[in-house]
Amino acid sequence: MRFFRTPSSRPRTGRGATSRALAPFATVTALAAGLCALAGCAPASTSSSASGPITIGMSLPLTGSAADVAKAGYQGYELWASQVNAAGGLLGRQVKLDVLDDGMDPNQTTTDYTRLISQDHVNLLLGTFSSLLNAPASAVAARNQMLYVEPSGGDASLFQRGFTDLFFAQPGTTTSLPDQFLSWFSSMPASKRPTTAAYLTQDDPSASPAISVFVSKLQAMGVKTVYDQTYDPTTSNFDSIAAAVVHAQPQMIIQGSVTDDGAQFARSLEKLNYSPKILFQTNSPTDATYPSAIGASNTNGIFTAEAWSATAKYPGNAAFVAAYTKMFGTAPTEDAANSYTAGQVLQTAVDSVGNLDQKALAAWLHAHSVSTIVGPLTWDSTGDPQGSLMLAQWQYDTLQVVDPQTAATTKNVIFPKPAWSS
Amino acid sequence: MTELLQALIFGALVGGVYALMSTGLTLAFGVMKVVNMAQGAFLIASSYLCYALWQHFGIDPIVAALIVMVPMGLLGLVCYKLVIARLERIDPGLTIVATFALAMVAEALLALAWGPNEVGTTPSYFNQAFHISSLVIPRAQLYAFLLAAAVTIALQLIVKRTWLGHAITAASQNPEGARLIGIEPSRVGAQVFAIAAGSTAFGGAALSFLYQFTPDTQDAWLGITLSVVILGGLGSMPGAFAAGLLLGLAESLTTTYISVRWSAAVPTVLILLVLTLRPQGLLTRATRQDAAS
Repeated sequence: MRFFRTPSSRPRTGRGATSRALAPFATVTALAAGLCALAGCAPASTSSSASGPITIGMSLPLTGSAADVAKAGYQGYELWASQVNAAGGLLGRQVKLDVLDDGMDPNQTTTDYTRLISQDHVNLLLGTFSSLLNAPASAVAARNQMLYVEPSGGDASLFQRGFTDLFFAQPGTTTSLPDQFLSWFSSMPASKRPTTAAYLTQDDPSASPAISVFVSKLQAMGVKTVYDQTYDPTTSNFDSIAAAVVHAQPQMIIQGSVTDDGAQFARSLEKLNYSPKILFQTNSPTDATYPSAIGASNTNGIFTAEAWSATAKYPGNAAFVAAYTKMFGTAPTEDAANSYTAGQVLQTAVDSVGNLDQKALAAWLHAHSVSTIVGPLTWDSTGDPQGSLMLAQWQYDTLQVVDPQTAATTKNVIFPKPAWSS
Repeated sequence: MTELLQALIFGALVGGVYALMSTGLTLAFGVMKVVNMAQGAFLIASSYLCYALWQHFGIDPIVAALIVMVPMGLLGLVCYKLVIARLERIDPGLTIVATFALAMVAEALLALAWGPNEVGTTPSYFNQAFHISSLVIPRAQLYAFLLAAAVTIALQLIVKRTWLGHAITAASQNPEGARLIGIEPSRVGAQVFAIAAGSTAFGGAALSFLYQFTPDTQDAWLGITLSVVILGGLGSMPGAFAAGLLLGLAESLTTTYISVRWSAAVPTVLILLVLTLRPQGLLTRATRQDAAS
């Protein structure tokens, strides 16, 4: 599960940036939206021409601390737009992307989306990356009654603001991350299940809410908690933490890791030569450098969750991977897939409704399922997707999708996790 | 008892790592009174150079450090001649701003050269450990600790037992007096800065096999190294080593017996305690200047 993740010392751009950090930007957003209202901004669909290209506005962190990582997300949008135009466009009109750069600055994001709506008069909006930026951007969209489909930004707090035009183009948020694992776990005979668990999570909205769900659900299944700690995002030394975990002798370890903390903790377990029956880590195992960081053979049996897999058998996924690779000369990342998915969601709604009425588009999405490369997506009234992330497991140097069966790339599950190799 | 011993071992080892990372900063500040905000960048640059030698030529990072110290020393010399020496003549305080700017430039250059993704070296010992009864001694941490001890002793010997060391001491304590006996403080300063930058090669090598790193990892390490230097007493090599150990032990014991979450607050708490109870640092004698302030 990678939602525009960056190295640990960078701003958190993942599924959740801190809710605390959002408060100042909400104020700025409200002010900007108020000024926009005073200036007489109207929903774009009513002010734009019905001929010529359909302009789709977005602001992305193309410069700043996450610029290199943002590139893939932008390319996902570019691929989607080029494919739409090659197929005749939206409603028979070519699609034109109006892209601004926010430099990973939430205040600039607010300014950019306000400009896209009030000055550029874009017809439609697409979202940016990270909860940190999507929070103010979606607020601007809501104030201007515009549909807002976001490719990332899974912090649950984003869907507790009463917005009805916001849609998250991923299968689930942080709180539904454990679903597939818990389903698989409960399908095991009770006699074979681990009976004790240690929980360790970084203090980050993209990890800790999921671990809370793990704790409560697994305790309800009779799994005894023997260790439960939260560590600061600046933590780099995991040897002492791992020693304390090992001292508790858990049969299963669940870690809410965000970036390289997952690899660092696994390395510490290797040094202590302690291999639990199950090791589940959020985020980190999908990192491209994870296998080299802990030793490729040591990944065997480690579980994680992911929103998108290059090998998942959802309609259009293989074609997306091939087209992206051909267009950009490199395999797509999850960020690229997420922005492509957001485009798919918007395209399906527009094609189905037959016009650019923002309220009608939102109403249609609330009432229908959309087939995407991350599977079928449906949303509740707040835009919170009603699915769950895929359960993946490293198996012999390959990250395989284990569940759900509709996306599974293997029928095998490695259990218990093999011992560490040297 | 085993848990306590294990916590002490881990704490001491990581403390040695902290001390190793801080050597260059300690030397630069102690002798030249320059707070080198580019210390973290020098450290990460060393890590990347060790990583490059390991990746392309298979050279063990510890051996690579002996090679990397040469270009890093030259880099320190160039930085001193082009930036530090000029600014010190205008306003010594500007060196903080200038070295901070150097750090930002270095971070951008490293990102251009190696990209933003985490990298690290994985020599055969990176995830191995010596097991003595029920105690575990990670090999990588042990080697880093030994490197820290060796570098600290070597730098201390240079400062205390060599002509250069005496010149350094003279130039730092009384620049005008040093000039009278033929020691040019600016030349000594350049040599010190080169040694300080060169010594980061060892910290960078250790960092490369202990952790994954990116260009902006320097921010985190600058904070830790500054904490160590303040705790140890500005400019004291043995003090920095002791401070590193204290910091590592305090973090480890806090993690084991209090809370993982609280371990992040350990450096701040220690700095507050030391500045309150022993403001001159752990192993530094109070001077008349300290007393006056």
